[in-house]
Amino acid sequence: MQLTRRSLIAAGIALPCLGTTRGFAAGKETLTFGLSAYPGAFSVWGQVGTAATTVKLMTHRGLLSFDHKGEIQPEIAESFARAGDAGWTFKLRDAVFHDGRPVTSADVKWSFEQIGQDNSTAYYRAVMQGVQAIETPDARTVTIVMKEPLSTLPLILAMPHMMIVPKNTVFERSTLPMGAGPYKLVRQERGVALDFERFDKFYKPGLPKMAKLRMVAYADETLRVSALKSGDVDLIEYVPWQAMAEIEADKKFKLETTLGPFMYLTFNGQSGPFADKRVRQAVAYGVKRDDIVKSAFFGRGGLLEGMPLAKESPFYDPATANHFAFDPAKAKALLAEAGHPNGFACKLLSNAQYGMHRSTAEVVQQSLAAIGIQAELNLPDYATYTTLGNRGQYDMAVVGNTADYNDPDGLASLIDGTLPVSFVRSFKLDVPEIHALLAEGRRTFEPEARKAVYKKLETAFLDQVPLAPLAWREQGYAMKTAVDGFVNLPSQLTFFSGMTLETTAIA
Amino acid sequence: MTWFLRRIGVSVILIWIVASIVFLAIRMVPGDPAEILLSQGGIAPDPSLVAEIHSQLGLDKPLPVQYADRFVGLFRGDLGESLTDGTPVASEIMRRLPRTLELIAVSALLALIFGIPAGLIAANHPGGWLDRLSGWMSALGLSVPIFVVGTLLVLVFSQTLGLVPAGGYVPLWPDPARHFMLLAMPALTIALGLFPIIFRMTRASVLEVLQRDFVRTATAKGLSHGAIMSRHVLRNALMPVVTVLGLQLGTLLGGTVLVEYVFNFPGLSGLMVDAVNARDYPFVEGVVLVIAILFVLINLGVDLIYGVLDPRVRRS
Repeated sequence: MQLTRRSLIAAGIALPCLGTTRGFAAGKETLTFGLSAYPGAFSVWGQVGTAATTVKLMTHRGLLSFDHKGEIQPEIAESFARAGDAGWTFKLRDAVFHDGRPVTSADVKWSFEQIGQDNSTAYYRAVMQGVQAIETPDARTVTIVMKEPLSTLPLILAMPHMMIVPKNTVFERSTLPMGAGPYKLVRQERGVALDFERFDKFYKPGLPKMAKLRMVAYADETLRVSALKSGDVDLIEYVPWQAMAEIEADKKFKLETTLGPFMYLTFNGQSGPFADKRVRQAVAYGVKRDDIVKSAFFGRGGLLEGMPLAKESPFYDPATANHFAFDPAKAKALLAEAGHPNGFACKLLSNAQYGMHRSTAEVVQQSLAAIGIQAELNLPDYATYTTLGNRGQYDMAVVGNTADYNDPDGLASLIDGTLPVSFVRSFKLDVPEIHALLAEGRRTFEPEARKAVYKKLETAFLDQVPLAPLAWREQGYAMKTAVDGFVNLPSQLTFFSGMTLETTAIA
Repeated sequence: MTWFLRRIGVSVILIWIVASIVFLAIRMVPGDPAEILLSQGGIAPDPSLVAEIHSQLGLDKPLPVQYADRFVGLFRGDLGESLTDGTPVASEIMRRLPRTLELIAVSALLALIFGIPAGLIAANHPGGWLDRLSGWMSALGLSVPIFVVGTLLVLVFSQTLGLVPAGGYVPLWPDPARHFMLLAMPALTIALGLFPIIFRMTRASVLEVLQRDFVRTATAKGLSHGAIMSRHVLRNALMPVVTVLGLQLGTLLGGTVLVEYVFNFPGLSGLMVDAVNARDYPFVEGVVLVIAILFVLINLGVDLIYGVLDPRVRRS
């Protein structure tokens, strides 16, 4: 810090000459993006939050990705096709890494082998451990053979946690390794901002549209909105729900939202009253979801009264979508049937750090009190909340999350109780039928047959209530009207919308 | 000299106690760094991965071994690395500390520039319009929470008038103008909270000194009011102001959390909050240690200023 009297005087003289802050707005060659947080960690194959994913999507690409409509599209792989019962073959395009080296099948093989290592912390480690062999007949061809058929493999390979890095990359935890994405990371200041420059040899002609991209972290949601309104940034993620209506009404800005993430309740299935599915059903019927949408999301959400499948999904069934519509009488009857005619007391875990979690818990508490369940709130900070959740130190817990992708299999991490314990799913609530149907869905390729399997899964879900669905929430990006080409990816893919920054420009 | 060495010795022991308490306290609160790292984004942390990270970070060792490792490292001047991204703690603190110090210094300067003259004038004209105005401002500054002041400033000066950026930070060079524009609102917010303390203390202290015999004697000797104020009253009245300012500066080192948060100012307090949220033990310990050392140094500095203001302190 070189604070001198001379610099102070110089700055003081310069200030009036420089006009308003709007004079400092970056030129049209730079797009400034307001991140919801500075990434806590950089992990090219890990899932360490939305901000980290957005950053990762600037510098890296995988074999596949999602297009603006949420459909799978080729990326580093220009085409792909099934190879036998359990295999997929990918033909690579003429892509290069940021240092100019070509992306080869050896890089793909090496990347996927690293993901599947026993000591890997990659999000899809388990999937890559299900690989029988990765064949590389030539530099442009990769064949992945799984131990068992996996119909969702293309979906998984399109996720931003399956990026391709150069073979033998040495990883440093404080920054991202080199990739083949649209932008190069040229500068970063921990906790403050990251600067990117266009990668001129990116394999998509004419992209990315902007020469420079600056990502500035604004952890405080109010300040993030203020930064947009005052012109400091062009585009922000994680628009707070209370600000959505105001932004929508302002002609200088546009708001893009999608109903993707959702709130739900998990249960302690190991002991206590929630080990009984009738009590879980009672809870699902007994919560007044409308109040959650109003109080936690300022009306920017929707009721979630069935299995969390988006309306756009081919597996969505309107006949069962309102299965758990608010019905306190039915809830009381179920409680009586389960041996709790006068209700019971229990502990409800949520956290005080995020208002939507706290407000949801408060509504749940009030609703359940009306049917006789006296829930005592536990609202620690988020770190404590995750630890208590992972250890099963709760009876019920409020969780906000989303499926991995827009397919019923994307719900596996939330409803498959045979997976290791985690705060995102009910504690030790194993339903073998759900596990078996999820596995069957993965083995099934024919679309109609998959629909049949997932219908059975939905029936089991509504009967067993591995989680009690509560409310969809709108997830939004806000931007100046001059910003063009940015798309909020549909439904549960919303957190990967940073993908579309390659097509984003300021008019 | 003996007094000085004794002060240093006591300070070192105090710092060691603080560091030990923080070491134990941060590990006693629930929240596992590995679980938090793997749970970001609401994903499921696999217990085997949590164990792997524990092993990588040395968190699987017994607590006494961790404690010994930590203090051997500190003794060698090594504050360790971030558990989340491996950043060296010392270099990150050295990058952030000057920002917070600058913020506090500019805030204190603003509070002193306005607080001391206002206190002096108010004491000289008790009940006058300036006394009442300053009193109201001081009451307002004390009663309105700092985040409310900060948010209001953002609303008025950034969103409505567009005079300054809403928040953030740029280094002094190569952009001093933007640096000070970004510094202005957080510094003003802190200064508005500090002003009432300086004003009230100055006013009360000057009023008290004005009643002293030596002031009456000086007046009887025919000294001008200005000379009495500058040579006798102010010098004596500033002692408690310096004391209070010293204490406030120490408190502000770790207490600018809300201001740094509201203005997205990447200083030391924000670093500590992030570290606590992530249970990033080395960072929490490193920041607290640095704050404790600075607190001790500020207190030593206050003692030295006492000596300048009042020669009797030097002699004693």
